[in-house]
Amino acid sequence: MNRRTVWCGVFGSLLLLSPGLLLAAGSLDGTEGQQAINPTAITMFLLFVAFTLYITWWASKATTTSSTFYNAGGQISGAQNGLAIAGDFMSAASFLGITGLMYVGGFDGLILSLGAFGAWPVLMFLFAKRVRNLGSFTFIDVISQRLDRDPIRLVTAFSTILIVIMYLIAQMVGAGKLIQLLFGLPYEVALLLVSGLVLAYVAFGGMLATTWVQIIKAGLLLTGVTLIAILLLADSGFSLSSLLGKATANHPKGAAILSAGVIFDDPVQILTIQISMLFGTVGLPHILMRLFTVPDMRQAKLSAYYASLFIGYFYIALLILGFGSIAYVAGAPEFFDANGKLIGGSNMAAIHVATAMGGDILTGFMSAVCFATILAVVAGLTLSGAAAISHDVYAEVLKKGKPNPATELRLTRISVFLIGLAAVLLGIAFQEENIAFIATIPMVVSASVTFPILFLSLFWGGFTTRGAIVGAGVGLVSSIILIVLGPQVWVSVLGHDKAWFPYDYPALFTMPLSVMVMVWVSQSDRSARAVVDRDNYEKLLVRSEFGPSAVPAVDG
Amino acid sequence: MANSSIEAVHRKTRLRLLFTGAHLLLYFSFTLNWTPWGAVLRNQLGTTQVTGSLLMFVFLVCIFIVLETVFLVISQRSEQ
Repeated sequence: MNRRTVWCGVFGSLLLLSPGLLLAAGSLDGTEGQQAINPTAITMFLLFVAFTLYITWWASKATTTSSTFYNAGGQISGAQNGLAIAGDFMSAASFLGITGLMYVGGFDGLILSLGAFGAWPVLMFLFAKRVRNLGSFTFIDVISQRLDRDPIRLVTAFSTILIVIMYLIAQMVGAGKLIQLLFGLPYEVALLLVSGLVLAYVAFGGMLATTWVQIIKAGLLLTGVTLIAILLLADSGFSLSSLLGKATANHPKGAAILSAGVIFDDPVQILTIQISMLFGTVGLPHILMRLFTVPDMRQAKLSAYYASLFIGYFYIALLILGFGSIAYVAGAPEFFDANGKLIGGSNMAAIHVATAMGGDILTGFMSAVCFATILAVVAGLTLSGAAAISHDVYAEVLKKGKPNPATELRLTRISVFLIGLAAVLLGIAFQEENIAFIATIPMVVSASVTFPILFLSLFWGGFTTRGAIVGAGVGLVSSIILIVLGPQVWVSVLGHDKAWFPYDYPALFTMPLSVMVMVWVSQSDRSARAVVDRDNYEKLLVRSEFGPSAVPAVDG
Repeated sequence: MANSSIEAVHRKTRLRLLFTGAHLLLYFSFTLNWTPWGAVLRNQLGTTQVTGSLLMFVFLVCIFIVLETVFLVISQRSEQ
């Protein structure tokens, strides 16, 4: 394993990890390969599609208003929503990416697991109840109750759409290549298939259908990883130590894979990843949007709690799968091509370990789950982008909160179609490009723009509209500049020898910068609007803790 | 705005920030694995292959869930 292969695996996995960020393994480490057509995979996938389309048909009968479209009428229970959030988050990306990274470097891969998991307690402690109490459909509803509604809605809707589009490009390119790898379908056909199905789910079934697609997918993924983990442990006499022993015997680094340092050696790099993963995840618009699908604040907190339980369980199971992949795939010649490379690259290690443990049936099942996962994640993103356009911009800014309901619903469906079309076209346009930097942008922008605005709106009385807008601008621009000057663009895309900025995820620097600018500008803001923003804080606080009935909501 | 409501909100805010602070402290302690101060985590437990680093990962996942459970219980009691 040379250093380049290891680093490609690392960054591929970083991108794969984020909910929805999915890059094909083969293209990441230069080992293109394709699984043989697996009839079990295709059968299981068709069953999934048939069932989810039936659910969409059922949900479409209930999806007749904007409210049911955006938040499923607020009637999803906390446990159901927790599983749906987990389904949105524990993507094929996590399954393939983390297992792949552990296959390459053992323990170091777990930084991604903990990085992603760490976001959920923060979501629960800080935001779940308050956001649910204050918002209706999107997190932008929350901040616009305190800050000047039109400018703040436009700024945050722009960042939401940017995050969604960047996610979608990465997702679609990754989806096309992954499906090509797993099912043998042509790239363009894979994109059309993903986009067509997602359009059906979202345009007709709205949040209700999307929620159930995510719930079903989460159930399938948890079943799959549980089964593989049990089979791995059973083959090692139900001894984790024995499994780890087999892994160290198979890996060139030996026992070093059981602790840190095989891939990463810079603690600052670890911190940048942790900050980006945690605060980036907490600020993701499609994750925050899920908090509005439950009936009350108690169910919102339970949603975050259940999501943590499912996601925590998933990542502990991945620990077994990661070391299991070294134990059972690394030494097995059937998983390597004639040149001695792992078929499909390191991110296919998870599929290979399924093959090693459960043959064609388990391979087919996990391949179908990966495809289902892509659909669930793209559906969540599409819904979030459509809500930003039709609700935040059209209904709230252009129509001042009094849109024609039928027109708004029609516009939402048109937005869904346009986002789907854009996703296919951009997916084809970026097919041969190095899109690693595009996939980095959403997490860094979310950590540097969305999270600071939401946090300061809810927890600092001195926050003003001007501070939010200037800080968001600084956060956005500094994120883009540092990503461009970082290794992914400056070296990998532009071909320079050395990057100006050494880290791929600059949120360790851009998020504090954004917060400092927001605080400084807010403190020096002497405008009349600043007085209103500060005066709104106490009312917002009471409403956020005791519900809308405590103090009537008034848009900022 | 009633002072009692505001005081109740501030109390809840302090609780939120306390739990978040504790969580972040534990979360970022994982970085110790990549520093000389975390060298002890490389040791294996007894005769097993399980290292302190692996144990720390599982411990952190579990403790985060425990923290959430405690937070949930406290906030539910305060709402009753």
